Parts: sequence; C-alpha cells; structure tokens
Amino acid sequence: MSAPTEFEVMIFATTLVVLTLAYGLVKFAWSQPLKNGPGFFLGVEVPAGFYDGRGKLWLNGYRAALLALHLALVVALGGCFVLKRWEWMPVWCGGFALVYVPTYAALTLWMRHKLGTRPPVRAVAFSLQSRHLGDYISWPLEALSAAIVASCWWVLLRHGAKFDWLPPFQMTWSAIVLPGKIALVHSGAPLPAERTEEHYRYQDATRRNSINVLNSWGWLMVVTLCIFPLRQFVSPMKSLSLIWIFLAVFTAVFVYMMFLIFRGQKLATTMGRDLYPSGNFATPYRSSSWMGTMSRPYLVWFAIWFGGILALILYSQFR
Amino acid sequence: MFLTLEANDKRPIYQQIADGIKSLIAGGSLREGMTLPSVRQVAGDLGVNLNTVAVAYRQLQDEGFVTVRHGAGAVIAPRAPRSIDKAELLKPLQTVLTQLILSGLTSREIEEAVRRELAHLQQTRSSNGEKGGAQ
Repeated sequence: MSAPTEFEVMIFATTLVVLTLAYGLVKFAWSQPLKNGPGFFLGVEVPAGFYDGRGKLWLNGYRAALLALHLALVVALGGCFVLKRWEWMPVWCGGFALVYVPTYAALTLWMRHKLGTRPPVRAVAFSLQSRHLGDYISWPLEALSAAIVASCWWVLLRHGAKFDWLPPFQMTWSAIVLPGKIALVHSGAPLPAERTEEHYRYQDATRRNSINVLNSWGWLMVVTLCIFPLRQFVSPMKSLSLIWIFLAVFTAVFVYMMFLIFRGQKLATTMGRDLYPSGNFATPYRSSSWMGTMSRPYLVWFAIWFGGILALILYSQFR
Repeated sequence: MFLTLEANDKRPIYQQIADGIKSLIAGGSLREGMTLPSVRQVAGDLGVNLNTVAVAYRQLQDEGFVTVRHGAGAVIAPRAPRSIDKAELLKPLQTVLTQLILSGLTSREIEEAVRRELAHLQQTRSSNGEKGGAQ
C-alpha cells in the first residue's frame, strides 16, 4: 500500500464534508421551519391554516434560498477541483462557514421579522439548581488535552529542526474551546411558568449537546496537531502507516462529532416539539431571544475564536 | 426546584425573587444548608441585571435567611429562634388586610383566603418533610 497523495486526501476530506452537508440538508435544514409543528414557522407562531395558504410560499422560498446557498458552495468547491488548486481547500472550508452561517442566520432572522414575531409576555420561572462547571466539563480530559498540546509544542520547539509554525498554531488556536464551554455552562434563558420542568430539561439537554460538540471539535484539532511533532521523528518508512493511522483517527473523531451534531438536532426536535420555541417567549424583563441559551459572553467568545481561525486561514494563503 | 415570577406582579424584581425564596423556605422546599444558584446564573437565566439579584440575596442575608460565604455562594441559614417583635411582624399583614377590605372583599372571603393559604403552606411543609424524611 502506498501513501495517499495530497489529491486523494483532499478528495477523501471533501467527500466527508459533502456527505455530511447533504445529510444535514436533507434530514434537518430542509424541514427546519416545521420543526415546532404546524402551528409555527421557524419558531414563529402562525395562524391555523397558514400552510394551506401563504405558508406554502414561505416554505418554498426558504427551500429555494437554502438550495441556492448550497449550490453556490458546491460551485466554489467544483472550481477548486477544476482548477486543481488544492491549496484553496482550507479557504473553501473557512469560506463555507463564513458564508453559510451568517447567510442562514440572516435568512432566518429576515423571515422571522417579516412574519412579525411579537410573542406575548408570559410568567417566567428560573431554576434554583446551581450549575457547576464540573457537572458539564471533565477537568481530567481538559488537563489531558492541554498536556498533549503543550507536549506537541515542546517537541516542535526542542527538536531544533526548522518547522512552519503556522499550521500547528492554527490547530492550537482552533482547539481552544474551553472558554466557549464555560460560557455555555453559564448561559441560560428564562423558562415559561407552564411545563417548566420539561423546558428546563430541554434547555439543559441542548446545553450539554453544544458542549459535547465543542469537545469533539477540540479533540479533532488536538489529533490533527499531533501529526506535526510525530512527523519530525518518524522515518519515511514508518510515516506511511502513520498517515493511515492519522486518517483513521481523524475520520473517527470527525464522524463522532457529526453524530453528536445530528443527534443533538434530533433530540432538540423531539424534546422541543410541544414546547415554546426559543424566540417565541418574552418575559417582563427580557425580550424574546432567537439565540436561545447562547448568551452574549458565548457570542463574543465565538466571534473572537472563529475570527481568529478565518484570519489564520487567510494569512496562510496570502503571506 | 423552580421559582416563578408572575408577568403582572407590580413588586420590584428583587423583591419578587426574595419573597419567592422566603416562600420556598417557609414551605420547606428550601432547607438549611442548601445552596442557592449564583447571582450570575440567576441574572443570566432571567435576563436581568446582576445587581437586581445581588440586592435580593443581600436582603435575604440581612434578614437572616441565607448566609453568603466566599466561594460557597448563598446557603440557606439555620432557622434559629429569633427575638421577634410580633407587632413589627404583623405590620405587613395589616397593610394587606386594609388593601383587601378597600378592594371590596368581605371579612369571610378574607378569612377563607387566609385559611386556604395556610393550609396550602402546611401541606407543602408536610410533603417536603416526608420527602426529607424518606431521604
């Protein structure tokens, strides 16, 4: 067995991404407006019979926009292949996130705004149960992750050989997800006074799932970082098996992360079916928040972290 | 365990929080040694200012219902017998009774309401006592 070429690795990674994207589109994004049942469109309460009339137009418009967005991304990906510019693939991945996330969010917000979301003010409840970081974050695993990252850098710096600092730095930056997890533990949203326990369990389940997704992303990056110091030591003979081992581990962690994301989506759909959707619940002290439990500290962290990843990708392309 | 704040309650938020916690202590749902969530958590969950929750907790501390320990947060204090000025304690009751009479409620209706509330409180206390005993 020979070592996979850069082209083959890119094909493999792209296939993984495209398959995931297609599954997410068909399984979740396509029917997202209907996930709270026929009484809602994207979490906004709509009158009875909405889907017999203008609701059909809204749904078709949403789906057309979603398809156009995916088509644009596929065309960009096809461009990379046709022009054989493999070095653009990381830019495509970053660009994909940069284009997809804000466009989808803007589309959702615009539709919600047009449908006129003015949820009634309801009585509000809050839990008297303390949320401790230790209940959500495994400190031994955090320590292990930090130790692996530190060891990788120690090996890279001590080895003496010249190495390109940028790729391992990109991986290290991407692996720093602990502040996001801490922000998620502290984030919460008001609970309605009716069926409070169910709303609380739903909120906690989505919080835990988001933390698990961040966890697996962090490990994906740590696994990728490990390849840089290992490459310094392993002879070309052994590097072949190393590449295959790396690909297997990377794929396993990636598949696990996607499993968590899709399981979380399914869980949220199942648990939240009959509950008040995020953004359709206003309290006397807080307007409705479409973002659910994602607090301002979490969004600030995400903006800095994600902005850093994009900046590093751009820097690596144009330095 | 949850604390519900009504949408049309005219009391300040900090007062609603403090009164709600006192009611849970009176009902036996919150017992000595139990820890309340941090000020940051409650403020974040409710979407109110940190100071609002801090004022509620300070009031509970001043009245001896909770003790605030650095690092441990607000803990429900033991219900030590206090030297109680009964006349002082009954003042809020007089205010409420005056309001109810001015609202047009009859003495019988008020008596029934008070009896019902007391029975509810007693029931909550005994059911929480049973739970505590079972644990």
